[in-house]
Amino acid sequence: MSSRAGQKQAARMVRDQIARERRRSRTLWASVAAVAVLVVAGLIGWGVVASQDSGEFTAPAGAVEDGTGIKVGSGPVQIDIYEDFICPACGQFEQQTGAAIDQLVADGKAAVVYHPLAFLDRYSTTDYSTRASAASGAAAEGGKFREYAKALFAQQPAEGSAGLSDDKLIEIGRSVGLGDAFAQAVRDGKYKPWTAHVTDAASEDGVNGTPTVRVGGKDVQPTTEAIQAAVG
Amino acid sequence: MNVTAASSSVSPASVGRWRTARPWLGTLVRLGLAAVWLAAGSTKVGDLAASGRAVNAYDVMPYDLAKAIGAALPFVELALGVLLVVGLATRLAAGVSAALLVVFVAGITQAWARGLQIDCGCFGSGGQLAAGQSPTYGLEILRDVGFLALAGFLLIWPLTRLSIDSWLEKT
Repeated sequence: MSSRAGQKQAARMVRDQIARERRRSRTLWASVAAVAVLVVAGLIGWGVVASQDSGEFTAPAGAVEDGTGIKVGSGPVQIDIYEDFICPACGQFEQQTGAAIDQLVADGKAAVVYHPLAFLDRYSTTDYSTRASAASGAAAEGGKFREYAKALFAQQPAEGSAGLSDDKLIEIGRSVGLGDAFAQAVRDGKYKPWTAHVTDAASEDGVNGTPTVRVGGKDVQPTTEAIQAAVG
Repeated sequence: MNVTAASSSVSPASVGRWRTARPWLGTLVRLGLAAVWLAAGSTKVGDLAASGRAVNAYDVMPYDLAKAIGAALPFVELALGVLLVVGLATRLAAGVSAALLVVFVAGITQAWARGLQIDCGCFGSGGQLAAGQSPTYGLEILRDVGFLALAGFLLIWPLTRLSIDSWLEKT
């Protein structure tokens, strides 16, 4: 091998070496950029939720002490009912067991805490679950929670629809005897933060679906027989 | 070592075809996996609280942690989708994809094993199933394994056509 050929080869090796180094640092920077994108994306989501968690809410009259539901009756056994106003199974549950539960309350056997939560906002185009729950809070303030909830379930909109409008929610309120203060609270969305609190607290208590029924803190099938048996 | 003998079972022509086709096949795989993440992220991003509840339904961590993960996850999924669409750091994105998918499969498997009645929440919804609905854990796991195969392909062959990676490689 002549010395000139050797020099050429050495020069090429150096060039290759430099090119390899450059490629490696490019790959490194691409990876750093990608990791940054992923981390920032995660932080955005976390930040959005953290900023939504204001924790400030006004619980309506009739709410239990920690504000997670509306208490009806004063019997010795506590029944907790978690419902979403757009959930079809909740509508059926109300139809099939509503009268029997009202009877348990009337007989003084049980107290019921209703948790009107908003799990299914995505199932309407207007966050009907939240609006209906907040309206039921306004109805509780007016002393007509149960009457109003029944009326809402009787006119339950289909999943995937726009739900009932605020005007319609107010009209239903008037039909059960609620007045202007109720209408104003619905228009202002006064109890929406309370709905968020009810929803969050239910999740924290391990409620993952609706309707969920608990008697004395234990999960019970949402049927008249099971509930009556559990109350005893 | 006799290299010619070792590779003689594969004809040179088919090796050549594979070499030409692979980067383009890789592009399809990359865009396919990107579509999966973009779909998964966009169905969840509109309701972060619901996403947190879906994570919480797996019942493997405290609610506050589930909320944080549920909030971050849709954005991370969207970001992975974007990285894969443009083809930046494809091997890394494929690695993170594979890791996430393994976690998802593990989560679904434990829910199945414990007899939880939940929707995986993979593409929106999630949470407990209504009465009369039965879980589809087997299908969900199979689907995730399919997605894992896509990620595996990109881990092995990350350089694909029409990607920032291959453009960086050339310049």
